[in-house]
Amino acid sequence: MKLIVAVLKPFKLDEVKEALKALGVHGMTLTEAQGFGRQRGHTEVYRGAEYEVEFVPKIRLEVVVDDGQVDDVANAIVDAAGTGKIGDGKVWILPVDELIRVRTGERGAEAL
Amino acid sequence: MLEAAVHIVQIPYPSWLNSGDNTWQLVAATFVGLMSLPALAVLYASLVQKKWAVNVLAMMFAGFSIVMVCWFLYEYKMGFGANSWGGGVKDGVQTQFGTGKGLSYFFHNFWGKPGPITSPAGLQNQAVSAANTAIPFHFPTATLAYFQFVFAAITPLLFMGSVLGRIKFSAWCLLVPLWSTFVYSINAFLLWGGGYFAQEGALDYSGGYVIHMSAGVSGFVAAWLLGPRLLRDRQHAIPNNLVMASVGAGILWLGWNGFNGGDPYYAGADAAAAVVNTNLATATGVIVWIAMDAWLSKEKKPTFLGGVNGMICGLVAITPSAGWVNGQGAIYVGAIATVVVWVAWNFLAKVKPFSKVDDALGVIYTHGIAGLLGGLMLGVFGDPGMIQYPCGPAIANMTYPSQSTACAPFSVSGWIYTGSAHQLWEQFRAAVWVILWSALVTFILMKLIGLVLRGARYSDEVLEVGDLAIHGEEAFPTETLGERVGAFAMAGEASAARQKAEATASSSGAAVSSSEEEPS
Repeated sequence: MKLIVAVLKPFKLDEVKEALKALGVHGMTLTEAQGFGRQRGHTEVYRGAEYEVEFVPKIRLEVVVDDGQVDDVANAIVDAAGTGKIGDGKVWILPVDELIRVRTGERGAEAL
Repeated sequence: MLEAAVHIVQIPYPSWLNSGDNTWQLVAATFVGLMSLPALAVLYASLVQKKWAVNVLAMMFAGFSIVMVCWFLYEYKMGFGANSWGGGVKDGVQTQFGTGKGLSYFFHNFWGKPGPITSPAGLQNQAVSAANTAIPFHFPTATLAYFQFVFAAITPLLFMGSVLGRIKFSAWCLLVPLWSTFVYSINAFLLWGGGYFAQEGALDYSGGYVIHMSAGVSGFVAAWLLGPRLLRDRQHAIPNNLVMASVGAGILWLGWNGFNGGDPYYAGADAAAAVVNTNLATATGVIVWIAMDAWLSKEKKPTFLGGVNGMICGLVAITPSAGWVNGQGAIYVGAIATVVVWVAWNFLAKVKPFSKVDDALGVIYTHGIAGLLGGLMLGVFGDPGMIQYPCGPAIANMTYPSQSTACAPFSVSGWIYTGSAHQLWEQFRAAVWVILWSALVTFILMKLIGLVLRGARYSDEVLEVGDLAIHGEEAFPTETLGERVGAFAMAGEASAARQKAEATASSSGAAVSSSEEEPS
């Protein structure tokens, strides 16, 4: 099993979600995040004082998938979320030691 | 048994009491009270970082309450009482009109004699004060005193904006009553209570000098002595809630209808004109600041908070003259004050001494400078046709049921109408006094408070945490993370977790000793 973490532009969430559902991915976790890579931030003005904000709002999507599905899922995310512009984000993949379903106690592939 | 032959309508108003005047005065006072709580409280608490919001709210509510108690126990009479130290004002009448200009004349018309107004007679008798010498008040002392209280209360709350983010709560609670007593009540008596400057002819319709300019200067001096906020706080001084800021700003604006509309003390035409002028100057201020931000600022964007600043400039600048200028004058006042304050805010702030003092919310600009300009502009734009107290014989198709033929209608003659700079000169003299007195006494009080409390500012460790360290409260707590101390005792039985643990242990056959599991 692998954990796929994707940091993406927020407005791409719907497309990525639909792409994952089409592949049979049953669940995912979403967090709102702030991040930057090569994308520049912006300046805000409050009461005449300027504030630089380097971070840009992003979403962080996490899914645990079976080894066999990893490539398909990762490619689907990249295809759905990409715009070709700076700030599209990154995807990384981690190994998962154990997976447990809280309701039933199922472990491993049955918990997917 | 007696039969009533004539149906008599009983009205429980003494002859001097006009229920319309009393109603408007109490309503106006309530509006001004709302300007403090919640308007200013919400506005300031929204402009600071989250970690300082509770501190702002606590100082607002505490400050308002402290002034209330002082006001009715002794302070109202110091500002508006019927008798002054030395007798310059006696039984609500000025006794030394124009005679002797020496120091004794000044000090006999300097301060009212303190005393409570909490007795039944004190509250319910006709208001008697040299605050208005043209015509007597047609409402009781309680009404006038409460109306004046809400002005006295908002003044320190305004300059809290200069000192927040590092002043000790205890220092604030000492500063408020002392400042109110030794700065506010004196300025009020001198300019309004029939004191020296009132007799000399200086005018301040609703408190551009007594309230706003005084607050701006005092806040600046206090901020200078306190030292700046933490560097990190200044680097991240972003407002935490602009939507709530608009709630505060909106109530502040509309509440000002009472601030200026209540100051003629009569629910007449001048009160209505004052309300209109207030809104004209304010609306002009909003538009001018937004336009200047959009065209002249570095970012070239119209900002909402810029609009709020312009709003405050207009409100403050029209305050000394609301019922004495005409509508066009009000627009000029709002525009001129806003242009000058915008320039000061963006450029003067970078120059000494302004660049060396951390006036956290810029009170010296929007209240200090705008108040000074507003008071001076009365001497320029005062329209003699804006009659505040029409009285005496028939005036231009209107008749007034006044008994006194000696009463002369009152209005202000500004420079552009009469070519005379007399009023402007009186305004200038009074401004010099208010600025110097406010600065001097604030300086002394802050030094004293610093001695008594061994420092009027919190340590850096406390400043880094903010609300939690000072009040043990957060403005936006998260319920998930806070657990009530003594939660098990609250439940009255073993917690759910322990019950489940026991059930699981017994179902798997392990013996559980339950005696140690009993709740205490």
